[in-house]
Amino acid sequence: MDTKRKYFDLIKARLEKAYETQNDKMKVIASMFGECMENLGVVQLFGVKHGEEFVNELNYRAGGIAPYHALRLKDLILKEMIKQEDVDSGEIYNDITVMDKFEEFYKLDNRDMYCLVSYYGTEPLIIEIAKRAKARGQKIVAVVNKAAYDKVGGTLLDYADIWLDMCAEDPDIAMEIGGVKVGQLSSTTTNVIAQMLTAEVYSYYVSHGKEAPVLLSANVKGADVHNNSLTDPYEGRVR
Amino acid sequence: MVDAKKFLDEIEILLDQLYDSQKDNLEATAQAMKECIEQDGVVHVFGSGHSVGLGIDIKNRLGAMVPIHIMEMSDFVTKGGVPAAEFMDKKNIFERKPNVAGKLYNLYNIKPQDIFIVISNSGINGVVIDIASLAKEHGHKVIIITSMKHTLAEEPRHPSGKKLYEYGDIVIDNCGPHGDALIETSGVAKVCSVSSICNNCIAQSMAARTIELLQADGFELPVLNGDEAHDKALKKKYEGRA
Repeated sequence: MDTKRKYFDLIKARLEKAYETQNDKMKVIASMFGECMENLGVVQLFGVKHGEEFVNELNYRAGGIAPYHALRLKDLILKEMIKQEDVDSGEIYNDITVMDKFEEFYKLDNRDMYCLVSYYGTEPLIIEIAKRAKARGQKIVAVVNKAAYDKVGGTLLDYADIWLDMCAEDPDIAMEIGGVKVGQLSSTTTNVIAQMLTAEVYSYYVSHGKEAPVLLSANVKGADVHNNSLTDPYEGRVR
Repeated sequence: MVDAKKFLDEIEILLDQLYDSQKDNLEATAQAMKECIEQDGVVHVFGSGHSVGLGIDIKNRLGAMVPIHIMEMSDFVTKGGVPAAEFMDKKNIFERKPNVAGKLYNLYNIKPQDIFIVISNSGINGVVIDIASLAKEHGHKVIIITSMKHTLAEEPRHPSGKKLYEYGDIVIDNCGPHGDALIETSGVAKVCSVSSICNNCIAQSMAARTIELLQADGFELPVLNGDEAHDKALKKKYEGRA
């Protein structure tokens, strides 16, 4: 079979598995997000390494819901609060003081909740974010690759109210070509999980008789005015 | 009814459309990547906004090719001298600006055999168009990934009046809808965007095919395999370029 076709078939099968195994939990999480947002809270997103792809899929996204905010290492790099090389080497994920910098740089609020994404669920920084949120009584959703999490003895789920599985194997390898391991499925699967969550959060708003704050692509006519009308009331807490 | 199942059903249909309509363009891109890598070249990948995800998805992980270089928007600030406040200004969006991309392009060690993949869903913003145009002027092969439905529905923003796809030697349509969101709602806006999902599938399938082609030629694969010494040596080989 054509290798490209094979990838598309593999990902479709994985997406079906993700739906079947995660759908019930996604509905619960959508209600948690919806309740948080109705009370003017923001869902704070943080992802380790490729976990950031999931974050990008929810934060300030076309056809997405507005009240999300991402904790981004990139913002701290641009503000010269951390170094690019520590991010590149992965060392930054061992530094729990990065959360102090996030707290200094962003407008975090006690009404917020957290959605934390890590393949292994072990990195000290993401555990620190979870610990602090927990201590403030804020809700936490975790997204991990359970197969990898169990293997390495992750601890992120100890702090989570509920969690989703990336539904990948460990190692996350899509296929072998002549004995060489090639490609991944987990990021695309989690992107789809993120969009399924968006559908469910939208549905939460509708079922509560409310209009969902849906963002438009910034690259369609009139989008800036519409999107700013959804985000401006948060005075810098979202986007 | 908008729910997870509805999105799953619609994304599966869209992925089939994507493969069926774009398989020849994916194959042509894999061939171009293979030829570039065999000539010791690097594939430069550039996308602004969410389009950066395509490059990220096939970099720095097991089974990933090393001679792929992600041109990062943030390099404007960290390496290109653009003030952070100007770059992060949410009311005067940086990615839309024409005539600034040269600052980014000139930062990199680009060789004649290198090729470019430039990604933008709308294909109308200044920075992506200027990067594609610069690459073309310098004689590099340019591959564009865009949503044809979106780009054809919007007016150009670039002073040239052109859109990104017009610079492509190969153009891959990610098959996403205008505005990126897929699911109709009872309200005005549609929900659930698809470009990152489609772009990841494009990137992963293309990368797998490229590796297959390199292997068929007997070329030593520049692919991370998890062996520390092997991966370190490979990264060293492309240091400063990828």
